[in-house]
Amino acid sequence: MRAEDQTKILDLLEQRVTATRSQVKAPLSEVLEDSLYHERRRLKEDRGKSPAFKKDSAFWERVQSELRGASESQQTRLIERTVRHYGEEIAGNFDDRVYQVVTRAMPPALGLLLNAVSPIKLAKRLPDLPSIDDAIVVQGEVEQLRTLHEKGTVVLVPTHVSNLDSIVAGYALYRIGLPPFLYGAGLNLFTNPLLSFFMHNLGAYTVDRKKRDPLYKDVLKAYAQLTLEHGYDNIFFPGGTRSRSGAIEKKLKLGLAGCGLQAYIENLKADKARPNLYVVPCTLSFELVLEAETLIDDFLKEVGKARYIIDDDEFTKPSRLYEFMTQLVNLDSKIHVTISRAVDPFGNDVDDAGVSLDPCGRSIDTSRYVLTRDGPGPVYDRDQEYTREVGERIVDAFLRDNVVECTHVTAYAIFSLLREYNPRMNVLRVIRTGGEDDLALADLYRRTESIVGRLRELDADRRIRLGPSVKKSAEDIVADGLKHFSIYHTRPAAQRKGDRVVPTDRTLLLYYQNRLEGYDLDAVGGATSLSDDHRELADQ
Amino acid sequence: MAKLTLIGGGAMARAVARILVKSGVDVHVYARNTALVEEVEGIVLHDEMGPAVEGASVVFLAVPADSLLEASEQYGEFARGDHVVLTATRGVTDRFMLPHEMIRAMTCVRKIGYLGGPIHARELTTGRQINLVLASRYGEVVNGIRALIQGTPIALHRSADIVGVQVAGAIANVGSIASGIAAALDFGDTARGVLLTHGLVDATRLGVALGASASTFSGLAGVGELIPRHVTSMDRHVDLGRRVAEGEKLANALVACDGHVEGVKTAEEAVKAADRLGLELLLVPAVHDILLGRADPREALEAVLHKSLDLDHAINS
Repeated sequence: MRAEDQTKILDLLEQRVTATRSQVKAPLSEVLEDSLYHERRRLKEDRGKSPAFKKDSAFWERVQSELRGASESQQTRLIERTVRHYGEEIAGNFDDRVYQVVTRAMPPALGLLLNAVSPIKLAKRLPDLPSIDDAIVVQGEVEQLRTLHEKGTVVLVPTHVSNLDSIVAGYALYRIGLPPFLYGAGLNLFTNPLLSFFMHNLGAYTVDRKKRDPLYKDVLKAYAQLTLEHGYDNIFFPGGTRSRSGAIEKKLKLGLAGCGLQAYIENLKADKARPNLYVVPCTLSFELVLEAETLIDDFLKEVGKARYIIDDDEFTKPSRLYEFMTQLVNLDSKIHVTISRAVDPFGNDVDDAGVSLDPCGRSIDTSRYVLTRDGPGPVYDRDQEYTREVGERIVDAFLRDNVVECTHVTAYAIFSLLREYNPRMNVLRVIRTGGEDDLALADLYRRTESIVGRLRELDADRRIRLGPSVKKSAEDIVADGLKHFSIYHTRPAAQRKGDRVVPTDRTLLLYYQNRLEGYDLDAVGGATSLSDDHRELADQ
Repeated sequence: MAKLTLIGGGAMARAVARILVKSGVDVHVYARNTALVEEVEGIVLHDEMGPAVEGASVVFLAVPADSLLEASEQYGEFARGDHVVLTATRGVTDRFMLPHEMIRAMTCVRKIGYLGGPIHARELTTGRQINLVLASRYGEVVNGIRALIQGTPIALHRSADIVGVQVAGAIANVGSIASGIAAALDFGDTARGVLLTHGLVDATRLGVALGASASTFSGLAGVGELIPRHVTSMDRHVDLGRRVAEGEKLANALVACDGHVEGVKTAEEAVKAADRLGLELLLVPAVHDILLGRADPREALEAVLHKSLDLDHAINS
């Protein structure tokens, strides 16, 4: 982001959020008391661990003392200062010069970025730095994305399984010749100074999910929206957080995606030259997922014990990250980044020139959707409805452009056999106690064959995509899948012993097979349907 | 003055035109056959769709279910994102496609409102108070239509459940056919009431499976419509049922009923949809079999009457 825009956006942020808050009937003192309450609680739990602890504590002490007996206009000033306090943290320290250098030298910078997690390791291992360049395959509607970047502002909405996603997505954008998109990254990813330095300068802004203050959430949304209004493309992860189960996200958190529509409305009001916003879904498919073990463990925790925020997973352990990257390169494993067709902020198709189309392919004047008596303007329930439709389109695109990898199919085949051998057990029991079930390799091949057969039909109908690792014989798919399982995770998900296969880590198998949930493959497997108790798990 | 464009020239279009002209709305009509609407004073007739729709804030698609897709496609050429589009069409097309889905599939419009509840074109002209359900996901649609009908005898009840209201209306037609059959066979009023309630149970099952809210079916668009329907018995669906029960072939009965009997297609599509969704319906398949001559009317309906009527289960399953 250009430095002058950063300043402008922070000023506008202060004005806009304060104005919105003043329109609401509740007195401003209540807003501030609410902020104080939430922030004090957070700081108490934090107990001095976060780097901004001292600064934040001092800030809130001042707010508290000034709030006593403050007049209405003094309260407004206090809100403004609070919004700026939050806004500056979100925007982070940004150096225009660094941005220029970094964006011009992306590939080495990305290698650095990955290794910057540990500066010491970085120095030691610099010569044999694993390159992710060969591992990333960018496919799909790349040309359309390039055009839309020129015609308007893009909101890229990827699937989310790993903290590597934003880096992979960022790298994919670089590869297809686009400048970095802005994205919100969890505060915990900024604790390493070097990593933080690069992330900030590559377009990351900070999201602190520990902040429960409603005002903070307003500021965050308004910040994202203002960057869009200033023409900065953004990446939003509509799943909200990494998929714990490994499945494609079906329930989306559309708060940020809704910013696209509001930015479009503001652009129309301001009569901007390029007012259009485009929502571009994108799927990221990994054969192996860095944090698979932590995520599925969290998913299977008992009700209420799952963690929304995980700050001690594989991503924060440099040796695991390094090993992951190395194995990825050694296995010649691919990460597929698939760009889907774009939709407009109302969920309509968009053609290659950026024009919205109705279902019969006729062009639409989308500004009409947001007309009110006084010109373009927001209407709460209407806009929610438009955004809900966008959400449906995103989920469709995720399912359609999900790339099936050998690990998904192998895990699905093993798991469906396990279910078949234990017909009276629910998923949890299959995972935790599921009997003596090592499987005959021949059975596994047959099951794999029938699953792949069905997947090929779906692929031909464009309802899923087959990755190169599953466009092979059942024998090769299973061999490839088992090789992947054996090499990176602490315990292999499954391993071959002679003509048998032992499902060593069933939670991991569940994790990888979940990527194929939602395609009605159960009938193929012959096992009882997984979806009911699976859904039960997902609701926990 | 707000401009409303009616597409279609049947009894519904005529009734709506009459009411709205009286309350000072600028009513324009585009229809292939204008014989019925011509007599309404104060409307502007068009022989092209474009000018008819130009500048309209509300477009009312008053065509039967079997021509709604085509009419929507034609209107789609001139549709705009700020149009409020209304329809009261009862019935479905292939794959149980509901009226609002037909409009969505052919146009860019989103602000769709569906008029349901105890609505009968003939009753619209009596000047008595009329109670309608307006189902829409958009508050703007409801507010816009409220403003438009000020000064008319229409009382509007809002529902956000557009799917539920449409399913209730479509399946109620099938219930009416059953009611007609039962009348011809002299089943008596109680049995006819039970059959209509069975229809409501089927509608609830199907609707809930399609994403509707179960409570819609106990409201004005569901139960609230069955009562006047049964009392007045003035429906062409009842007439059709009666004829079929008296041994007339379906094709002949359809011609004799001289109108669109949407319940026939609805029954066929509902049976298929229930198969796809793995639902068990009782009344609808029976009516479907009777209409196709595959079941004896008396035996089929008596079999339904012997089944337990379980609305609770339909709502909670």
